[in-house]
Amino acid sequence: MAFLEIEHLEKSFGPTKVVKNFNLNIEKGEFISLLGPSGCGKTTVLRMVAGFETPTSGSIRIDGEDVVGLKPNRRNIGMMFQAYALFPNLTVAQNVAFGLKVAGVDKTESARRVTEMLELIGLPELGNRYPFQLSGGQQQRVALARALAVQPRVLLLDEPLSALDAKIRVSLREEMRAIQQRLGITTIFVTHDQEEALSMSDRVVVMHQGIADQIGTPFEIYNRPATKFVANFVGTLNTIEGEVMDAATGRIRIDGAEVTLGRAVPSGKITLAARPEMISLGAYPGRETQVKGTINDVHFLGSVIRIRARVGGSVLAFDTFNSSDAPPPKVGEEVTLSLAGRDLLVVGA
Amino acid sequence: MNRIWSWAALTFGLVYFALPLIGMAVFSLKMRRGVYSFDAYTKVLGDPRFQETFAYSTVMALFTIAFGVLLVVPTAYWVRLKLPGLRPYIEFLTLMPLVIPAIVIVFGYIRLFNTSSWLPLTGTAMGTNLLLMFGYTTLALPYMYRAVDTGLRTIDVATLTEAAQSLGAGWTTILAKVILPNVLVAVLSGAFLTFAIVIGEFTMAALLNRPAFGPYLQVLGANRAYEPAALAVISFAITWVCMGLIQLITRFSKHTKAAR
Repeated sequence: MAFLEIEHLEKSFGPTKVVKNFNLNIEKGEFISLLGPSGCGKTTVLRMVAGFETPTSGSIRIDGEDVVGLKPNRRNIGMMFQAYALFPNLTVAQNVAFGLKVAGVDKTESARRVTEMLELIGLPELGNRYPFQLSGGQQQRVALARALAVQPRVLLLDEPLSALDAKIRVSLREEMRAIQQRLGITTIFVTHDQEEALSMSDRVVVMHQGIADQIGTPFEIYNRPATKFVANFVGTLNTIEGEVMDAATGRIRIDGAEVTLGRAVPSGKITLAARPEMISLGAYPGRETQVKGTINDVHFLGSVIRIRARVGGSVLAFDTFNSSDAPPPKVGEEVTLSLAGRDLLVVGA
Repeated sequence: MNRIWSWAALTFGLVYFALPLIGMAVFSLKMRRGVYSFDAYTKVLGDPRFQETFAYSTVMALFTIAFGVLLVVPTAYWVRLKLPGLRPYIEFLTLMPLVIPAIVIVFGYIRLFNTSSWLPLTGTAMGTNLLLMFGYTTLALPYMYRAVDTGLRTIDVATLTEAAQSLGAGWTTILAKVILPNVLVAVLSGAFLTFAIVIGEFTMAALLNRPAFGPYLQVLGANRAYEPAALAVISFAITWVCMGLIQLITRFSKHTKAAR
């Protein structure tokens, strides 16, 4: 039996069904991300777990206990919000101690726990400050300490990094993941940022129109997308139209070349997909198929250069590492691209 | 050219508002013939009727403020949190006391709560005091509701509520420990306005026959020359002190500094 079980969860707002037959089992200590575009139902699922929304049908069990009928303040669930949600009238220490005070924890124990939490988030000296005296990143750390101080059964993170600038986001997400692993707390993280989801999670749930399209490890989600939506939403994807010549071996004709996937495919027209890192500029060992193309545009991103080349009717994006003695190709230049049939994904519905 | 008109308008406004006040203040100092003195003030402040009525109105104002806060803060909070669609209707309702004259309200009260009614509040002094307090709350409702609602607008009510709930807090704790402290400056603004209204209110207190400061002002004004002027200056001073206190509290409120 999983620690957190969500079964046949559904939620409708009026005639609109925003969550449809959502099922998810989470093990104790696991970090799960709900990833999807705006309006896909990920936040609604999180809010139903927190108790802020009542499911239309289905069940949510935490450690064997059905919590659907429980009020939010009786669920012992910690939560972090995008808008920090620190109480402006309380100092940092008072904010962290809020839940402990509500729970009736005695003052000595509460003070010890507050000190412990502030040390955990690396802000032991800021206990007497008010939220308005802190930066966004510091406020979100305090929000994490406050959520963890009450030792919740589950930690819910509702896009907590969205309001922060890029550099702080990266450092804070690493810090949050480290704290989560150290405490071994079961965590559900809602985000629309695939990089956050892939880098932090044990498993990712990709949601689309209220349905969990795919549940898997970041590696599985990225490399073996189950649906066209997942393939397109997670990472950059080149789609190539082809015609199957031999369904048994997966021999397919694409723009002036042939690739063999080495596995059976449905016959007729087919859509193949390739990640940018599956395509190389020039000949490359192990990538047997070569196609001719023309450079469309070149984007210098620092250590990596992203190039787009027109191949027949498609535009393929691929990356090369920056090298000081090998300048990138110029726009309009004729190039040869290499790819391997076995790397290509067959995109389903 | 525009600047001249601006200055002219400002000067006219200042003269229009300040001149009667200055005249009244000067007149209140002329009780002793030929010299300026505080005789009128000494006489007024020494009058036992002044002390009684002022004390009565002060106590009534404090009860009105307490009742108003208990009524308005949870209502405004709940409307913002759960029933945002009702906001325009509630705002319209709270504006009613500005449209319906106090005399109509008090006659309605007397008709509803007289000694032969199902709830004979006017039958006892305590009951009448209670009725007067409800009346004052109604009169102050437009100011109190607006002040609290404006205060609630400056904080993220929904997220703070959910954050407190996730930490185990119930509704009473949320209201007392999270919402009220964060709209305290707004509540105090409403409270001082309520105080100023109650101290000067005449119609309700007179018709309910309660020994309040407003009717005392009227009686004195009808029978004396200098004392009413002194009393009017005192009333203005009270109102200004209330407004000054609102400013002072806003300035020294620690956690609202960030919002400015």
